[in-house]
Amino acid sequence: MGLRQFMAILRKDLIRELRTREMLISMILFVLLAMVIFHYAFTVKEGADLTYFTGGMLWVTFIFAMLLGLNRSFAQEKDERCLDGLLLCPVDRVIIFLAKTAGNLIFLLIIQVVAVPVFTLFFVERSYVGDLLPFLVVLLLADVGICALGTLLATISMNTRSRDLLLPIIFLPLIVPVLIAATGATTLIFAEGAGFGGLLARVLFLLGFDAVFIVAAYGTYDFAIGE
Amino acid sequence: MKQLVSAPALFVGAGICLIAGLLLAFLYAPVDASSMGFSQKIFFYHVPIAETALVAFGIAFVAAIGYLRTQNPKWDRLGLVCVRLGLLFSLLVMVTGMIWGKAAWGVWWAWEPRLTTFLLVCFLYIAYLVLRSAVEEEQRRATYAAVFAIIAFIDVPITFFATRFLPEGLHPVVITAGGTGMESSMLISFLVSMLGMTLLLVALIRRDLAVEELQDRVADLKHTIGG
Repeated sequence: MGLRQFMAILRKDLIRELRTREMLISMILFVLLAMVIFHYAFTVKEGADLTYFTGGMLWVTFIFAMLLGLNRSFAQEKDERCLDGLLLCPVDRVIIFLAKTAGNLIFLLIIQVVAVPVFTLFFVERSYVGDLLPFLVVLLLADVGICALGTLLATISMNTRSRDLLLPIIFLPLIVPVLIAATGATTLIFAEGAGFGGLLARVLFLLGFDAVFIVAAYGTYDFAIGE
Repeated sequence: MKQLVSAPALFVGAGICLIAGLLLAFLYAPVDASSMGFSQKIFFYHVPIAETALVAFGIAFVAAIGYLRTQNPKWDRLGLVCVRLGLLFSLLVMVTGMIWGKAAWGVWWAWEPRLTTFLLVCFLYIAYLVLRSAVEEEQRRATYAAVFAIIAFIDVPITFFATRFLPEGLHPVVITAGGTGMESSMLISFLVSMLGMTLLLVALIRRDLAVEELQDRVADLKHTIGG
């Protein structure tokens, strides 16, 4: 039962986005532009080595891009009063949370499929093919944390007066732990190459973060989404 | 419980303990044997303030759960009062921490795990106040604030843990005097300060709660007479 409802909401979000592609196109353009901006902002002298900034650049870009996406994903629901309809359906609120999180996760992954190769081309000098699997694990775990926490907070901020102004203020300080762990792990992979052994602490940390905040959201989403 | 100790008595008790703590720290406890020397004296105020700040946020966390379970505005007031006081104490932690940092490491600011965590804590709970100001409807404001207070309090230890992944930097290792390494004279001076600071927190919470309650009553009365 829950699974069918989950799939229905997820499908609705995906179809709506794929028809207009508003959000995806702006997010992809934002990410690509951010890389160009980073290049100009950080290249202070000829041949400056940016290797140890790569992880930071990548995750700052994704987190900011996700802010754009999160605001969008709920603005539509709110403006068209779709959310009221959704809340009238006999659906467990937590299913709505999980479906929304999964939707945002899929969008973020689509962005990353485009962005990561371009980023690698622009900034990463070392080949990290051997570390591809750990890289993907770190990517996925950090994405889940960003999307779960982001979806919960976007649900709250969309019901406030200052909506998209509020979301960064409440989201950014909370997401710092993910940023620290993901940046460290990614930089290690890009700059030095580290197997699972070197990344284990950070991977476990990200896993723990995801688990804690999914449980926290599970417990509080009823209240966050309102009646 | 309310009438157990009067508010002025609590303030007087706090004042006596804090002054006694100060005298003990300078006259009774020996000058620290480590490289910290005399500057270690700030420990007797800095650490109690930090622990009191965390206690205040802890109470806010409990109050948030209390509110979500009962929807009683009493809990919301307690949460708000504790967050405001916790924020005040956190700012004091930062100021005293910076003074200590200047004496110990020669710089006003170092990206040291504890200092960094408190900086983020300040941002987190400022965000809590911003969130409150962005919602007009009382019940909704209280609910969102409670959800955010829960998430924020969970995030604090996670952030502290994450900062351990960061490179340690240039400064020497921070004192780990808490726990075993303290002489009994130091411990006594510390505990007196700690007691004073806790009493101060309780006294301030009670006073602020009374003010908040009065404000709510005035608002209700105004509403009744159609003002």
